[in-house]
Amino acid sequence: MTSSAALLTAMRLSDSMLPVGTYTASYGVEQYLNEDEIETADELGELLGGYLRGVIGPAETVALGHAHRSAAAGDLDGVLAADERLGAATLPAEFRDSSTKAGRKLLELLAETDGDPVDDGGGGAAAGDGGGGAATGDGGGAVDGVNGDPAAGDGADPLARAAVDGTVAEFAAACEAGRADGHYPVVLGVVCQRAGLSSREAALANAYGSVSGLLAAAQRLGRFGHTAIQSQLSALFPVIESVSDRYHDAELDAMCSFAPLADVMGMSHERADRRLFMS
Amino acid sequence: MGYRDVAKVGLGGPVGSGKTALVQRLVPRLDDAGYDVGVIANDIMTQEDADRLRDSFADRLPTDLVAGVETGACPHTGIREDPSMNLAKIDEFTERHPELDVVLIESGGDNLAATFNPELADYFMFVISVAEGDDIPRKRGPGVTQADLLVVNKTDLAPHVDVDLDVLRDDAETVRGDDPTVFTNCKAEEGVGEVVDSIERSILFA
Repeated sequence: MTSSAALLTAMRLSDSMLPVGTYTASYGVEQYLNEDEIETADELGELLGGYLRGVIGPAETVALGHAHRSAAAGDLDGVLAADERLGAATLPAEFRDSSTKAGRKLLELLAETDGDPVDDGGGGAAAGDGGGGAATGDGGGAVDGVNGDPAAGDGADPLARAAVDGTVAEFAAACEAGRADGHYPVVLGVVCQRAGLSSREAALANAYGSVSGLLAAAQRLGRFGHTAIQSQLSALFPVIESVSDRYHDAELDAMCSFAPLADVMGMSHERADRRLFMS
Repeated sequence: MGYRDVAKVGLGGPVGSGKTALVQRLVPRLDDAGYDVGVIANDIMTQEDADRLRDSFADRLPTDLVAGVETGACPHTGIREDPSMNLAKIDEFTERHPELDVVLIESGGDNLAATFNPELADYFMFVISVAEGDDIPRKRGPGVTQADLLVVNKTDLAPHVDVDLDVLRDDAETVRGDDPTVFTNCKAEEGVGEVVDSIERSILFA
C-alpha cells in the first residue's frame, strides 16, 4: 500500500508546478493546431487517446517500467538500456529534446532541493564503482540499500531519500558524462522507484502528467473551454489506466511507438513559422 | 561552468515597451566595454523574428550566443515559476563559451505583474513605455515595484500622448522608494548609458 508520503510524492511529480519545463513542450500538438488538424475538444481528446495508445503506453511506459525494475535491482545498465531504447524509438528531434531536457532538469532539481546525487551525501553507493556498485547495497543513509522497499521507514520526504540514492546518482552522473540522454519517463521511473512508488503508480503519474500537460498546451494555443478540457481529461482516465496496466511491466524488447502523423507534425514543427512551444 | 558562473540580466515589461530595442542598444555598449555577452529572447514566435534577432547582432556576437527560448505561451512562467528552459540555454552558452561574462534575458511581453525569478536574473529591469500612459507606475504592479531598475522608454513620445514625464518620475519615486528609475529614448540612444552604468555597477563590478 502506498504511504501518504509516497502518494504526496506522486502528486508532486505530476503537478504542473514541478519546475522542469514540461509546460514548454507540446509534442506536436502545436503543429496539429497550426495546420488546423484539430479544432474541437473531442478531436483533441481523440488525438491524446492516440498518443496514449501509440506512444505513452507502448514506448514511454515500457521504458519507465524497465527503468523502475532496474533501479530496484541496482542495475544501472538496465536503466541506461531503457533510456537508449526510448531515444531510438522517439523519431522527432524536438520530442527527444523535450524529453531529455525535462528529465535532466528533474535530476538537477532533486539534487538542488532534496540532496546531492553526484556527491551522494547520504552515503549511498554512488562512488563510481560502475553498474554493479549499487547492487552491493551498502544501505547507507536513509535509503534501504537498493533492492528492498525504499518507502519503508520514517515519514520523511521520499524524494529526499531518492535524491541521495546511489542509483539516481549514478544515472545522473551517466547523463552528465554523456553516457545517457536522461529521458523524462526513465528518470521518473528511477526516481519513483527510489521514492517508494510502484511501477504502475509511476506509469499512472507519467501518463497523467503527459495528458494534462498536452491538454493545457492545447488550451493555451487554441480555443478550448476549461470545462471542455476537464471533460476530455476525465474521459481519458480509462485510457490512462489501461495503458498503464498493460505496459508498466512489459519487457523492454516489447517497446514500440506508432504515431506516424504525430511524428510528421513533430518534424514539421521544427520549421514552423509560428512556434510558442519547443516541440 | 554553468548558469551560476555568469551574470544574468533580466528584461521584462509589456509588449511594445521597447525591451528588444533596449537589448539592441545594450549589446554594442557592453561589447565595446570588453564584456562577452549572450542574448536570450523568450517567445520568438516566428522564423522571421528569429532571423531578425540573429542578424541584429551578427557583427557583434557569435551566432550561438543568440538564442530564442519558447515558453509555451506562458511568458511569466518562463521567467518566474519555472525558468528551467532559460537556465538550460544559459548552461549551453557557458559550456560553449566559458569566457562569457553576462547574459541578457529578454522576457516575452507580459503584464505589470511579471517579475524575474532571482535564480534566473541577478539583476532585473522592467521596461515600460511612455505611450502606455502615465498611470503605469501608480498601478504598483510587482514588475514596476520589485525591479532593480525601472526603465521608462520612448520619452520622445510624451508630448504626442499627453504624458507628463514629471508625473511619471514622481510616481515612480513614490512606488519604488530608493530604487532607481532611468528615462530612455532608445531610438536616439538617450539614457542607455545610464542603464549600462547601472548594470556594471550592480553586477559586473560587484
